[in-house]
Amino acid sequence: MRNMYLKKWAVLGLSFGAVFVAIIARAEAQPKGFLETIHRHATLASTSPGNGDLNPYALFVIQQDSGVLHKNDVLVTNFNNITNLQGTGTTIVAYHPETGNISEFANLPRDLPACPGGVGLTTALTVLKSGWVIVGSAPSKDGSTLTKGDGCLIVLNTKGQYVTAWKGPLINAPWGDIAALDRGDSATLFVSMSGYDLPGPYVKDPVTHYPPIIHKATVLRLDLTIPQGQVPVLQKQTVIASGFSARADRDNFLFGPTGLALDTDGTLYVTDGYDEAVTAIDNAVSRTDAVTRSDDAVGRIISRGGLLNWPLAMMWVPGHHLLVSNGRNGQVVEIDPVAKKQLYAQWIDNDQAQQPPGNGDLFGLAMTPDGKSFYYVEDDMNTLNISTP
Amino acid sequence: MTYSTPEKGCVAKRICCLSRILLTGTALTIFAGQAARAVPPRINIGNAAEAGDESSTGVFGFLSNWRRTANFLGDMWGLRPELGKYGAVLAMQETSEVFGNVSGGSRRGAAYNGLFQAVLQVNTQRAFGWYGGTFNVSMEQIHGRSLSADNLQVLQTVSGIEADRSTRLWELWFDQKFLDQQKLDIKIGQQSLDQEYMVSSNALVFANTMFGWPMVPSADLPGGGPAYPLSALGVRGRYWLATPLYLIGGVYSGSPTKHVDGDPQQTNPSGTSFPLNRGVMAIAELQYVYPALGAMVSPDEVEPLSHVYRLGGWYNSEPFADQYWDNSGTPLASPSSNGNALAHRGAFSIYAVMDQMLWRSHFDPNRTINVFGRAMGAPQSSRVPIDFSMNFGFTFKDPLPYRTDDTFGIGMGYTHVSHALAKYDKAVAYYTGQYSPAQTGETYLEMTYQFQYTGWLQIQPDFQYIFNPSGGVPNVNNPNRRVHDAAVFGLRTNIAL
Repeated sequence: MRNMYLKKWAVLGLSFGAVFVAIIARAEAQPKGFLETIHRHATLASTSPGNGDLNPYALFVIQQDSGVLHKNDVLVTNFNNITNLQGTGTTIVAYHPETGNISEFANLPRDLPACPGGVGLTTALTVLKSGWVIVGSAPSKDGSTLTKGDGCLIVLNTKGQYVTAWKGPLINAPWGDIAALDRGDSATLFVSMSGYDLPGPYVKDPVTHYPPIIHKATVLRLDLTIPQGQVPVLQKQTVIASGFSARADRDNFLFGPTGLALDTDGTLYVTDGYDEAVTAIDNAVSRTDAVTRSDDAVGRIISRGGLLNWPLAMMWVPGHHLLVSNGRNGQVVEIDPVAKKQLYAQWIDNDQAQQPPGNGDLFGLAMTPDGKSFYYVEDDMNTLNISTP
Repeated sequence: MTYSTPEKGCVAKRICCLSRILLTGTALTIFAGQAARAVPPRINIGNAAEAGDESSTGVFGFLSNWRRTANFLGDMWGLRPELGKYGAVLAMQETSEVFGNVSGGSRRGAAYNGLFQAVLQVNTQRAFGWYGGTFNVSMEQIHGRSLSADNLQVLQTVSGIEADRSTRLWELWFDQKFLDQQKLDIKIGQQSLDQEYMVSSNALVFANTMFGWPMVPSADLPGGGPAYPLSALGVRGRYWLATPLYLIGGVYSGSPTKHVDGDPQQTNPSGTSFPLNRGVMAIAELQYVYPALGAMVSPDEVEPLSHVYRLGGWYNSEPFADQYWDNSGTPLASPSSNGNALAHRGAFSIYAVMDQMLWRSHFDPNRTINVFGRAMGAPQSSRVPIDFSMNFGFTFKDPLPYRTDDTFGIGMGYTHVSHALAKYDKAVAYYTGQYSPAQTGETYLEMTYQFQYTGWLQIQPDFQYIFNPSGGVPNVNNPNRRVHDAAVFGLRTNIAL
């Protein structure tokens, strides 16, 4: 009898021990990704400046003091004007984390002779080490692709003043994030172009009854030289990928490739929004020919479908993973590009006023300087937000 | 007429009602003037900022880009951008409709009904750098006439905008957000409770009044409660308890009019009565929301579809009149009754609301099928005319290719007359010897299609069929027979100006 009690207590003790060890092991297990470390989401400021521009798109965190900008300031572009017409926003605002204030960094004229069709600032935004700001423009007159202009890439100085603009046949509605390899005195930029042959939003494919899908969107590489104290010079333009899907849309202006993230080995990752995919363009920094569409994709498919739902902006997060914002719900999706695997997603916008919640709200993403949190914009609320551990 | 307040004036009314009952042999007049009220079509404040900038070409310049604009008047000749500089948005909307019954009711015919709404909302951060504040003022101009009151003799009126013709202040409040992640916001001022409580977002597409402010509060609360076209002073808080739970609650004036007697829309004709002498209305609602902010989604699992579940209740401290007994213990229907209904202090109700997405197209995520349901009851059924009501239905959003803003809906509503009032009907028959059937329940079905023709114009054909109008009451034109079931066709337009 006594042995039986001893056995019972031993079994019980071992069970507790096993559970305890399992709990400890689990507690000490490394997170499999970045998103599970994120727990809080807060609104930081309104992104609408004095002229009432709306619809924040791009985000960029300033790396060092430069002109009126200070290290860690956050730049935000606006795509819409005060009447919320898409492709008519002309402002860039700066968020100052120390004070929590927003100030207007740049306010461009509605029409620039060097920018065909006018100005509508997109998610294409970067600030070079030399301080020059480069921003994309995909303009419209009436808020739809019916009056879309070819657009341009605009260069601003450190005070937010217009300096010059680049246009040409290889530049048509610069739409996506700018991925940059900045060497100081030279730089290589990548921008997606989504405007080729897009009709107005009321032109429909007779079979699908939706606007036709045009497979002419590209990713353009721009090689710059940056003479000391002088304006960057555009030395060369190379289309490194073409055939991405693009489509006009009544509510969303257009669908096209948006997110761009450059890897250290020269691979460029692209979010192909309409095809719900993330693809890879090999040797993006050096290649001289364009990857074209094959098997319904442009480049190597890294991830398709699943949690991706109109993938838009994309950036690197700790663990050498990619974080992608969904345009058609309020989620961000974490992807391991090496394993070609979606890890998980998190709701960072659960606005039930949209269906699905957060539909059409999320665009720009940017890591905070400490690498632990990230900024994002909500274009329905016109706010800059932060997600933190 | 109100049945929540047994004070003298009301008693006089009740006697008057009773006299009419005795004269007509019908209990129908119990609900005369007691038309249920609902949320009118919502104004899209964000939409108002989407006005085009085409007005500069002259008086009719706004017509030059009429298909694209979100608002018919565009930027209103520069007024909207000018207001926008100060963080203000001006939104205006005209709802016009024609409903007609082809069968049933007390008589056949059609009626035009209209509502003009104007809202001015100011974002205090845009206006003067004050974060998290919103100031809101709105007004209504109600025109046309009510088919439900004139032709149908129904409890659940076919249109949510049916109300007395008037021009009135509706809401006047200030809302302030507090705490990190805006966990708390407080709203203070003149408020219409149908804007926030008991709301089913999917139900708002329907025209019938019962998909807005439900029958239980409409019939039971003094003046129908602080809901369209009325409102009341109060304060409400909304607090994010924890993912995914929100709590919303408030305390308001117990009645939307200072006056004890009469039609509250008539005794508070401009909406500026601001009563604080009429007891207290307290209400609270717990909301379970998915997706919650920060919720994780695994690629290996089937992701839940979005849903909101609400559980709430209200209490009103006003006196509530017994539906059967007078204060001497005599049935109110008896000729020997003194006509003074037995007074009860306060009444309460509990409710539950569900919105659940059932299906979402992967090809076009705007295309969804949703189900909604709402049920509420007033347990103290002897002191209220309606003790239960419920709605249920489906909505199909983006039902046709590239019609992302269209919605097809099919739904139903049911309301039940309290046992005390049904007993009163029987007593009327007993004491008068005339036809007075005991009221039971009223049910209706509705089928509607909301067609977004342009950004500013919605066209909405609608069909409703009402079973057992008012729970079974005599037809005023044929007092020995009940009102027949009614088939109603309607066409509504919402125009964002």
